[in-house]
Amino acid sequence: MLFPVLVRKAYRVNLQYRGSHLVHNLASSLFGFMYIFIWMGIGATHELEGYGVTGMIHYVGFNQAALWVTGFATFGLGIPQRVRTGQIALDLMRPVSLFYQTALREWGQVAYQFVYKFLPIYLIYAIVFSFSFPTQFSTYAGTFAALAIGAYLAICIQYLVGVLALWTTESGWFHWLNYAFLMLLSGFFVPVEWLPSWLRAISLHSFYPYLQYHPVKIYLGHESASVLTGGLVWCVGFSLVCAMVTWLARQRVEVQGG
Amino acid sequence: MNLVRLYVMLIRASIRSRMQYRFNFWLSTLLATLVNVSEFLMVAVVLVRFDGIQGWSLYEVGYLYAVISLSKVIYRSFANDVHNLDRYLVNGELDQLLTRPLPLLLALMSQNFRIMLGETIQGGGILAVCLVMLLQQGQVGWIAIPLTLWIILTGAMILFAIGLTTSTFGFWLTKVEVLQTLTEDAARSAAQYPLTLYPGWLRSIFFTFIPVAFANYVPSLYVLRHEYGPWLLVATTAVALLCLAGVLAFWRVGASRYQSTGS
Repeated sequence: MLFPVLVRKAYRVNLQYRGSHLVHNLASSLFGFMYIFIWMGIGATHELEGYGVTGMIHYVGFNQAALWVTGFATFGLGIPQRVRTGQIALDLMRPVSLFYQTALREWGQVAYQFVYKFLPIYLIYAIVFSFSFPTQFSTYAGTFAALAIGAYLAICIQYLVGVLALWTTESGWFHWLNYAFLMLLSGFFVPVEWLPSWLRAISLHSFYPYLQYHPVKIYLGHESASVLTGGLVWCVGFSLVCAMVTWLARQRVEVQGG
Repeated sequence: MNLVRLYVMLIRASIRSRMQYRFNFWLSTLLATLVNVSEFLMVAVVLVRFDGIQGWSLYEVGYLYAVISLSKVIYRSFANDVHNLDRYLVNGELDQLLTRPLPLLLALMSQNFRIMLGETIQGGGILAVCLVMLLQQGQVGWIAIPLTLWIILTGAMILFAIGLTTSTFGFWLTKVEVLQTLTEDAARSAAQYPLTLYPGWLRSIFFTFIPVAFANYVPSLYVLRHEYGPWLLVATTAVALLCLAGVLAFWRVGASRYQSTGS
């Protein structure tokens, strides 16, 4: 019964900061407005093939909101801080895998961000730009599954970034590197099919499109949920790597006396 | 003069402490370069795909991007912890700085000097490529090089003024992270593209409340496109100096409001 307890507690912790987070939503949505204005400016003189200006606004608006589910996982799932304070030794002593406990806490965070960040930010764009919503239930189900896969991948990546803190004090840079690759390769700002061929090949051979590109394409009705099979394969692969890295972390950790 | 010497000495100490961890330094430099290259590619992909934006070519927008990146390098190298003031306010660490025999702002600026080698290489590289291409095309002359260096310097002053203004609000609000997202991150990202892309109300914000337009866009109009006249650079410098004077006065008011966290 650990699963629901940890998820629920992480969700409730975040509820205490609802007011502050809603203000943050304003800042985040302004970032999205900036990206939208850029596409509106480009769309005024160029044809935005396959999307049109309206479609591109919807694409960027959805992606900006979805970042809070698949892009903005907690840095290293809080592990670097625990390494610095020594708390990591106690975490590794617990009769539950480090990956399992940190991932569960993050799922609570993801659930909170879905309700209090993804939905409000998306609604702001939907109202301002008069988005038309999908009419089929299967579209919502597919999008939800795609976002869940993206969130799981994001959690795994942050876990790996976090565990790196056992080897280097610069794990923060890996977090930023992941963020930069996410912006470039996930189709967040530029749809993957518009990337130059060499960059498109890198993107399509990576897991990044499952964080943003596939969820938004499913939501806009450009793709069916069957594309998520690849995402599930990535999830299995990352789970194995995380389990292996947890084993390595147990060998690595040293507890200071005193 | 003594203050400057003291500041330089503290910066040197900060660099020495950083270089005790050489592997970490080179790793962070490599990763910072990758992060910045990736960030620029996001802009470049759009420019290549659409052959420029609103009449601005790839090299012109690359120039805008590089200039503001290098201005940020100067600002964040010499005044990194101005950006992190709220951490000092929350933890009460500002008390320690107040006991030092130098002005509070200078003490804050001498903390954690950052050697942003990766960002410098990337920004400098893009600027060099763009300027060489623009020179070859005959769009700019050699005079563009010293003028660009001057623009980077005034841009750094403007970014510093924006950053310090935002942080100073921390004396009233304590946490300014959200405000920084707007005034520093969003505004700087917006300034990587020609400002004509944005609607009038947003553009006017970048010319007034968050004057990031003067960091790269406005002076580039003269240097790259020969619009208006050289007075544009004089005006940009005047704006930078005005911002600096204004923010220093605001900082003094803010610092006088500081209340420690207590024990």
